[in-house]
Amino acid sequence: MNLTLKIWRQKDKATPGKFETYDAKDISPDMSFLEMLDVVSERAQANGQEPCAFDHDCREGICGMCSLVINGVPHGPEAATTTCQLHMRKFKDGDNIVIEPWRASAFPVLRDLVVDRSAFDRIQQKGGFVSINTGGTPDGNAIPISKKEADLAMDAASCIGCGACVAACKNASAMLFVGAKVSQYMHLPQGQAERSRRVLAMVEQHDAEGFGACSNFQECEAVCPKEISVRVIAEMNRDYLRAALVGTDA
Amino acid sequence: MEDAVSQPSPGIGKVISRMHGSTLGQKALMAVSGIALIAFSFGHMAGHLQMFVGAEQYNTYAHFLQSMGGIKWAIRFGLVALTCLHIFSAIQVSMRNRAARPIAYASNKWIVASLGSRTMRASGGIVLFFIGYHILHFTTLTVGTAGFEKIPEYKLINGLLVDDVYRRMVVSFQNPLLALGYIGGVGLLGLHLSHGIQSSLQTLGVLNSAYRPFFKKLGPALAGFLFAGFAIVPLAVLVGIIK
Repeated sequence: MNLTLKIWRQKDKATPGKFETYDAKDISPDMSFLEMLDVVSERAQANGQEPCAFDHDCREGICGMCSLVINGVPHGPEAATTTCQLHMRKFKDGDNIVIEPWRASAFPVLRDLVVDRSAFDRIQQKGGFVSINTGGTPDGNAIPISKKEADLAMDAASCIGCGACVAACKNASAMLFVGAKVSQYMHLPQGQAERSRRVLAMVEQHDAEGFGACSNFQECEAVCPKEISVRVIAEMNRDYLRAALVGTDA
Repeated sequence: MEDAVSQPSPGIGKVISRMHGSTLGQKALMAVSGIALIAFSFGHMAGHLQMFVGAEQYNTYAHFLQSMGGIKWAIRFGLVALTCLHIFSAIQVSMRNRAARPIAYASNKWIVASLGSRTMRASGGIVLFFIGYHILHFTTLTVGTAGFEKIPEYKLINGLLVDDVYRRMVVSFQNPLLALGYIGGVGLLGLHLSHGIQSSLQTLGVLNSAYRPFFKKLGPALAGFLFAGFAIVPLAVLVGIIK
């Protein structure tokens, strides 16, 4: 198949970027989107052009490294799928495809389609963990956790931190990410000791990074490759208000 | 479960500064003030529907409200304060949201967001103007009062002479421009609340997995009900059911 790509090119953080158009000819429909970009980059390099930079790692849909807003939708048109698992058969021969980086002041573009997502790391470092001294491996089921609670925690924990929620949000809010990180501990006994501190500190860091506020559009839920529900946002909101207004640990 | 290690409770100043400074605090303020204003809107609508009972009922009701004195003014100040808080937090959050995405996407797509959610700022802004006009029209009698001067005072069954608010409403809504403007205004209020009701509950963390699907339907349904309750009065005047 033959495609026309409009790709955002930007030399570095400080230089303003612009779109450049590329012809992608003879693309196999069985290629993944990233393989298609590999081919286009190789051809550009062979012609003496600078290849386009984009993030990727596992290419199995589990690491959260790949990104790209494809025709206005983070991770492209297929629901519950990362860009690396998106295949060219989802497009039609002759399609025009616009490829942009995640757009958020908290995710500055480093080069072309690569953005700096370390704001997520800093939010995590504020409380996305349980502080305990690790000893030997505890016995399985030593602490009883109901199946329902375990499932809720696991659903939240499936967040891979890719940032598609921020990219899709019209306010560039990271509330789905923070909600997932807060929720995954909220449903587990091990998460209780630091529950109030965690939600207060992580939300505070979210705000300090310059992400927007949640308007409950629910666009994040629609693009999340791990289908994380906005219920984690409600849970975070509830826990935050409880901790901020009536908590003893504020 | 509360935290294992209790620490001294923060001062009230710390609580306020944290809530004021955080996106979730600002959103919570917007949600709480919004819910209070929604509650008023439903009461206001119920009051209007007494137009269908007749002039005696409606004028008695209006006279009762006007004779509340101090309570009336307390409610008025409360409503103005709530509106100011609602707008203030909306502006604060909007400015933050705008700054969070300095460079727009070239191809921008809405995927699931409802029309109401996408137009909150516009609908809210126009509703504010509508409410302003509404107050100038029926409360202060400053604008749109053509024909009011010919309306004599109304004599209640108990002999009391009161303002004929019923007649003012009929005269106003017999003007199609005023009636349609009013219907448009309450229509935008309904659009605003089709998102606002469920969004405020989500912001306050009330919605869990059991309630969310229900409120996703109930929010727009309540908003539609409110719109219908308000719009039916000018419509009834226009078609001559209320005269």
